[in-house]
Amino acid sequence: MAMRRLAVLLGLFTVLGTACTSGGGGQTSTAGCTGKVSGGPVTVKLWFHSGTGAERDVVASQVSAFNASRSDVKVQLVLLPEGQYNDQVKAAAAGGQLPDILDFDGPFLYNYAWSRNLIPMDSCISSDLKADLLPSIVAQGTYAKHLYGVGSIDSGLGLYTRKSLLTKNGIRIPSGPQDAWSADEFSKILKTLQGAGFKKPLDLKLNYGATEWYTYGFSPIIQSAGGDLINRSNYQSADGVLNSSASVQALTVFQSWFKAGYVDPNDDDAAFKTGRSAISWVGHWMFVDYKKVYGDDLVILPLPNFGTGSKTGMGSWQWGITSNAKSVDAAWAFVNYLLQDKQIIQYTNANGAVPATKSAIAQSPQFAQGSPEYIYVVQLQSIAVPRPQTPAYPTITQSFTKAIDDIVHGGDVKTALDNAVRTIDKDIKSNDGYPIKG
Amino acid sequence: MISSPTQYLKTRINQDSVAPWLFSLPGILLLLAFLVTPFLLAVTYSFTNLRLLSPIPLRFVGLENYVETLQDPIFYRALANMLLFVVIVVPVQTGLALTLAILVNQKLFAVKAFRTIYFAPVLSVMAVAAVVWRILYVPDGGFINGFLGAVSGGALHPLWLHSTSTALLAIIIMSVWQGVGFQMIVLLAGLQDIPEDLYEAANIDGANRWHQFRFVTVPQLRNSLLFVVTITTIFAFGLFDQVYVMTRGGPLNSTQTLMLTLVDVGYGRQRIGQASAIAVIFFVIVLAINIAQRLLIREEEA
Repeated sequence: MAMRRLAVLLGLFTVLGTACTSGGGGQTSTAGCTGKVSGGPVTVKLWFHSGTGAERDVVASQVSAFNASRSDVKVQLVLLPEGQYNDQVKAAAAGGQLPDILDFDGPFLYNYAWSRNLIPMDSCISSDLKADLLPSIVAQGTYAKHLYGVGSIDSGLGLYTRKSLLTKNGIRIPSGPQDAWSADEFSKILKTLQGAGFKKPLDLKLNYGATEWYTYGFSPIIQSAGGDLINRSNYQSADGVLNSSASVQALTVFQSWFKAGYVDPNDDDAAFKTGRSAISWVGHWMFVDYKKVYGDDLVILPLPNFGTGSKTGMGSWQWGITSNAKSVDAAWAFVNYLLQDKQIIQYTNANGAVPATKSAIAQSPQFAQGSPEYIYVVQLQSIAVPRPQTPAYPTITQSFTKAIDDIVHGGDVKTALDNAVRTIDKDIKSNDGYPIKG
Repeated sequence: MISSPTQYLKTRINQDSVAPWLFSLPGILLLLAFLVTPFLLAVTYSFTNLRLLSPIPLRFVGLENYVETLQDPIFYRALANMLLFVVIVVPVQTGLALTLAILVNQKLFAVKAFRTIYFAPVLSVMAVAAVVWRILYVPDGGFINGFLGAVSGGALHPLWLHSTSTALLAIIIMSVWQGVGFQMIVLLAGLQDIPEDLYEAANIDGANRWHQFRFVTVPQLRNSLLFVVTITTIFAFGLFDQVYVMTRGGPLNSTQTLMLTLVDVGYGRQRIGQASAIAVIFFVIVLAINIAQRLLIREEEA
């Protein structure tokens, strides 16, 4: 016990120390691509978050296939646990220990880019590839007019349920985001399903805990109501937006589902799979698993409409080249390899995600019109909201996550959101408004 | 050549004053490098706007970080939680450790097996133990509620980590389970140091078991007990691993601690300056309580 405590303290102090020596900024590398890997063979270190097993296996096989195909670039894969991934990246950045290529959850890009830990890829990416990428991928990867990250996949949220169950209970099946259930309708549906024998009809994947999931999964609620995580006109304040009456009202409805006992705690992560819950509110990554259980009966519906139309999250893990990269060309060679349709499809087959390029989508039957996952393509083109494109994102997500956690446990909605606003605004102020420099 | 006793003594003193320093040098250097220097850095940082990652130039902000911390309601909630944790854990854990130490000090068959069993949790990594306990605490289908339900005929069904009224209690039970073995071993060593003849004498004087415990065991164990109380207090104040893994400070801040706030601020929000201010305040509080403990004990001695 003593040793571990000491280790934690030492770790913290070391970070404090290194934060000082590296000036807290990291070094700036403005070098871009030259189009040629020189001085090979170059070893490129890649950090990857250890997500689901299938995803991990695909990346590992892609690395070995790439290494076998090239003599001038060798990629070395390092897997890190997902739970603390962002913290580890931050600590490594502060200590100047970043690898050449990093994968990171989309919205953290702005902070890394602002801190100059990433370098722009504008000089690397071909115009053909850029035009083939989904606009949402380019939008998520761009900060201060430069492209800092590209993803192999995009994402989406939905209500997973069973057609047979809805029909049996006389529940309307929406055909797409435009006629999504209203929030009131959804509350009534939950009541109906509870009456039909589902003690806890709704699975909100609470087992993920107070993590990025809360922001990704539940910020569309306030966005659908007309609120948002921050005022996006200048990204300087969340006041009057995050804690607007529309946001408060929407999250009060959200809280009422807990108070009514509709929500399964999902401690065993099997609420929907075992049939305990009738509806699972989750992202694309559960598609493959759920499909195995329910087959063609499985249907994905848009999230409820809280006033201004159904919304969904978007953006996913992205690849970025760090300012530590020994050879930007070598790093790009691998990122470019991952963005080939064949590689993207191999990846999306493993995790059910939306392919990042239009050409890969066209080759994926499960995203064709009429297929269950088609809704994700539609959503990305119409109702998806990117998470705020600001370096303040880490604070925004931490504060919102905390607010949702409080609301889930019965805390006052307005107070929870006011607290979040206060923390966010203070953070922006203490960073001089996150000025964009050079 | 040593000619006189005084000269001999002088040489001895010179040797004695060098050798101890030489032996403690590695320790002192490590302490300076890993505790004193970082602490002084933390004090310095606490007056600046230092961030983990930021292109913004470092600047002096005076007491801003301290003012902000002391105005934050979460800070006081964390402080209150920690005090409650300490006030419950220190006496309970020490009392339980003493009981266990006395039990495993009996000359019984297989007593060593019991010692090992009680000590085993100490050897487990707290983070791993916390993950296991989180599963044990699951309200529906968890082992603990399964047991409680069977014993109470379904009457007892606490929500444990999901409820503001039981989350801290759940953390306390788990922490005591994990930590008590260490204190037990310290006290056991103390017990075995007590000369047998004191008990024999007490026996002859007609002291019963309770009197022997009260007037022989406890006074003889005094130093071990003091050590245990001090160490437990310091550890209890540093409460972090369990809450980080099991609750992240929730629900509704009911298990928030200062260390957790520090990590949230320093890592999550990257505000090293403010996190340093929290670290300094934390240090002052723990130091003050330790000094108070020492003063109280001195008074008892007088």
